[in-house]
Amino acid sequence: MTRPMLWGAAGGTLMILAAVPWIASPTLIQFGISTLLLATLAQSWNIIGGYAGYASFGNSVFYGLGSYGTAIAMVQWHLPFGVGLALGAVLAVAFAVLLGLLVLRLRGHYFAIATLALAEVMIAIFSNLDIAGRNIGLVLPLLRGDALFYEMSLGLLALSTLAIAWIARSRFGFGLISIRENEEAAAVMGVNTTLYKVLAFALSGFFCALAGGIHAYWITFLDPVSAFDIGLNVKMIIMSVFGGPGSILGPVVGAVLLSGVSEILSTEISSLAGLFFGVVIVTAVVFMPRGLADLGRRYKKVGWHYFADNVRAHRL
Amino acid sequence: MSLLGQILVNGILLGGLYALMALGLALVWGVLNIVNLAHGALIMLGAYVCYYLFTELNLDPFAALPLTMLTLFVFGYLLQRFVLNLVIRAPMFNTLLITFGIDVVLTYLAQISFSADYRTINPTYAGSNFALFGATVPTVRLLAFVVALALTCLLWLFLARTRLGRAIRATAQNLVAARLYGVEPRRIYALTFGLGAALAGAAGGLYGVVSQVNPYIGGSLTAKSFAIAIIGGLENPLGVVVGGLFLGIVESLTSLYIGPTYADVASFGILVLVLIVRPTGLLGRTT
Repeated sequence: MTRPMLWGAAGGTLMILAAVPWIASPTLIQFGISTLLLATLAQSWNIIGGYAGYASFGNSVFYGLGSYGTAIAMVQWHLPFGVGLALGAVLAVAFAVLLGLLVLRLRGHYFAIATLALAEVMIAIFSNLDIAGRNIGLVLPLLRGDALFYEMSLGLLALSTLAIAWIARSRFGFGLISIRENEEAAAVMGVNTTLYKVLAFALSGFFCALAGGIHAYWITFLDPVSAFDIGLNVKMIIMSVFGGPGSILGPVVGAVLLSGVSEILSTEISSLAGLFFGVVIVTAVVFMPRGLADLGRRYKKVGWHYFADNVRAHRL
Repeated sequence: MSLLGQILVNGILLGGLYALMALGLALVWGVLNIVNLAHGALIMLGAYVCYYLFTELNLDPFAALPLTMLTLFVFGYLLQRFVLNLVIRAPMFNTLLITFGIDVVLTYLAQISFSADYRTINPTYAGSNFALFGATVPTVRLLAFVVALALTCLLWLFLARTRLGRAIRATAQNLVAARLYGVEPRRIYALTFGLGAALAGAAGGLYGVVSQVNPYIGGSLTAKSFAIAIIGGLENPLGVVVGGLFLGIVESLTSLYIGPTYADVASFGILVLVLIVRPTGLLGRTT
């Protein structure tokens, strides 16, 4: 496909998706909102995890900060939603920069677990903050308008996907990929690794915070355990990894597929939905660790051997 | 005896149990280079195995520990041999993710089979205690502490003195060289993971005696075990004991002086700080 055709296809898809609230049932719209938000989160993780190669378990912290920023501004200070959203985003980006300078020096397991521990710290801190309603939480003003939330979520997903499309072909993106592949070599080649990593972390935090703010206003309720839920962070990771980390559309496809199956499962047998994610994680890591994007590329050449090859490459 | 003394006693007793929790994680991490995020779930499973041995077979919880460890050893051995072994040479992130997936599966299976109710292993002597230099020492906590330390020493002796222990350490240091000397890494890896699971099982059984168990305790126990392993370093089981005692005391002091809801902030705050200042562990070797 040529570039104009690509842009045309993207624009067309977006317009069809934007028309959904006028034709779909309320249940479908609600499913749409949560799926679009999850896809945005998967994309935000894609920036730091997929492109820069840093397995962040701290994105749920940014999500929680965005939710709480919005909620505190609206409930405690009676500010409009837009201001709250901006406040949440500023909070998350500032935190990402500060935190990034400290923890992005860590590699591998150490980075993953340092960010994992942070979510636990956040839950404990916000459970003790009066302004955040302690562990009871905050109740936001009710706004009936799922169509509006749907369009906001769609807009945010489009924005994050555009950002990734830009990253994928920019000097910044190539810098991130070089950091993922070999950080020392990247530094030797003149990539300002600290700056690039912190920028990627902050951009990732920015989109997470916006998604968190929209979600908080939509659900109208917020408490520390659900705002800083590690499970949500794992969902971002698995959706991104299942779809194809470091690709432009992979995480979106992963998010839509996995939310769809999970939704169908939870209407049939509710307790199986959680189990489903665990099983998907285990099988995906064993059989297709580089995601659907890689499967699509290589399946044509090698067929079913693709899965066996993956196992053979990594077992002992 | 002051309140501070009592708090220190509580912290030290808790710390011994923490050390045992972290021991299995540190062992698996050091030898297989896998940070097992399902470690807390294995502790949880151990607690349930011990609980059912106690309630169904009327076994004393401390007498049930060997059986609990054996069960968890077999489970861990099979898990490594048939699941984790498939990704053992994959990048770090994949092994981290797959153990998280196993954690999710185990937690949900536990919720379905054991229900989400809180359970406590409650032998008749659970409430007894005695005074020592004015501080009250709960008997079961002291017993749990002694068992935890004994198991740690046993592991240390096993790794240092036996042929199998040396093979495990050799594999951890240099896989290729160990293979050249006739060590079969697949067997060693499965054995090591089984040992780690058995230690988690023992820790779970003791945890069930001194505290409450539900299917969701795994996550924070994994994070605590990791914090202790980081503080103590991976080279020496005795470092883990120091890390466990340190965390136990810090948590007890935080609960007293700042508030019980901040105990987790203290332990995870310390974890993040130690990682930033000294990523190889407070007592670990500098590389």
